[in-house]
Amino acid sequence: MSSTNKSIQEKTSELSKLVEWFDSEDFTLEAALDKFKQAEKLAVDIEHDLTSLKNEINIVKKKFDSDN
Amino acid sequence: MEKSKNQPIFSVSDFIAVVNQTFEYAYPNIEVEGEVSSFKVNQGKFIFFDIKDSGGSVGCFMTVWQLRTPIEDGMKVIVSAVPKLTQWGKFSLTVKSVRPSGEGALKKSFELLKAKLEAEGLFALDRKRQLPTSPQHIAVISSTQAAGYADFIKIINDRWGGLKVDVAHVQVQGTGAPDQIIRAINYFNQQESLPEVIVVIRGGGSADDLAAFNDELLVRAIATSRIPTLVGVGHETDESLADLVADVRAATPSNAAQILVPDKNEIIRAVHVQVSSLLPRIMQLIDQQKQLIMERLYSVIEVIERAVDERVVQLSSLRSVLLQLNPNTVLARGYAIVKGIIKTGSMIEIETNKAILKAEVINVINK
Repeated sequence: MSSTNKSIQEKTSELSKLVEWFDSEDFTLEAALDKFKQAEKLAVDIEHDLTSLKNEINIVKKKFDSDN
Repeated sequence: MEKSKNQPIFSVSDFIAVVNQTFEYAYPNIEVEGEVSSFKVNQGKFIFFDIKDSGGSVGCFMTVWQLRTPIEDGMKVIVSAVPKLTQWGKFSLTVKSVRPSGEGALKKSFELLKAKLEAEGLFALDRKRQLPTSPQHIAVISSTQAAGYADFIKIINDRWGGLKVDVAHVQVQGTGAPDQIIRAINYFNQQESLPEVIVVIRGGGSADDLAAFNDELLVRAIATSRIPTLVGVGHETDESLADLVADVRAATPSNAAQILVPDKNEIIRAVHVQVSSLLPRIMQLIDQQKQLIMERLYSVIEVIERAVDERVVQLSSLRSVLLQLNPNTVLARGYAIVKGIIKTGSMIEIETNKAILKAEVINVINK
């Protein structure tokens, strides 16, 4: 995970909100550049998180060949 | 036991007991293949049938709970049994398990059980639960030595990260497989921290190899799992009852991995596309603003131009009025200007368009 503690899902949802802002009535050209920079950073963070996370595979020790 | 000329004399009960001990010693478990006939269920608990071939017939006995796959007269089966002489002197096989033998019997058994479970509503769409879109903890039931398992893990690792995968290594074919898979399902369902999905996978194989996934108790265990289930058994064309009862069916183990987790590469691509679509959006909005400003400017210019035009028209009309009022214009129309005192005998000046005349007033007649 990248420096912040946000999950990938949180970051993806944050990015979606930023993208929605560009189509919303709140859009102003003055704020657009800042928002764009935030979106760019989130995209880089998400890519970093997704590529660095590894799966943890555990083989259960219990034997299933009998009821015990 | 008495003895007669070195020959033991048994009571009937002892003889039966000795015969059964001999059977148990000689044949602790035998498998017999043959065709089912005279199949019947007594009191909903006990099953009796004969197993026969062209040369003979043997009676079989078992309980309904031991019958894991439906059978009927004419089906070829393999019974796993212990030979027994009953107290009435009848020889029979006490059956521990029955499995269909041959493609036709497997198919018939599959269809019978499918119809039964379908009638109970086990395959109904409204029973199906959705799988979480991005699970964090999953359980996998498979043989860790199977190719299908290796495919599944490879694709999971290629597509997603951060997943906790608990794997129950079980037999995925043969008579012991259904019970092992059932135990693994129960094991995961009893965990304190429940996995979000149970995935049951097995690669392709013959109809006999895949028969374990048509076991009635296994199908019911999948149906009653409180954890949603994803089953990917065999190839795309294979259909098992475990597939039908699962919340989600995958065509293959690889397909199960694709269904289970999103593809991180697609997400990364989509995220960058989302962001790069913002810049043209900003540029488009700047262009729109520019256009709006230009339109407003043009409309202001238009208002000014219209006002100027109106003034020009006004001036022109005033000019023409002024022109009409010009004494020279009046003179040009033939009128004359008379200057001086108008009385008889006085001298006056008369100005016409072309000359100025001096004249004497001869007579004045008032109008």
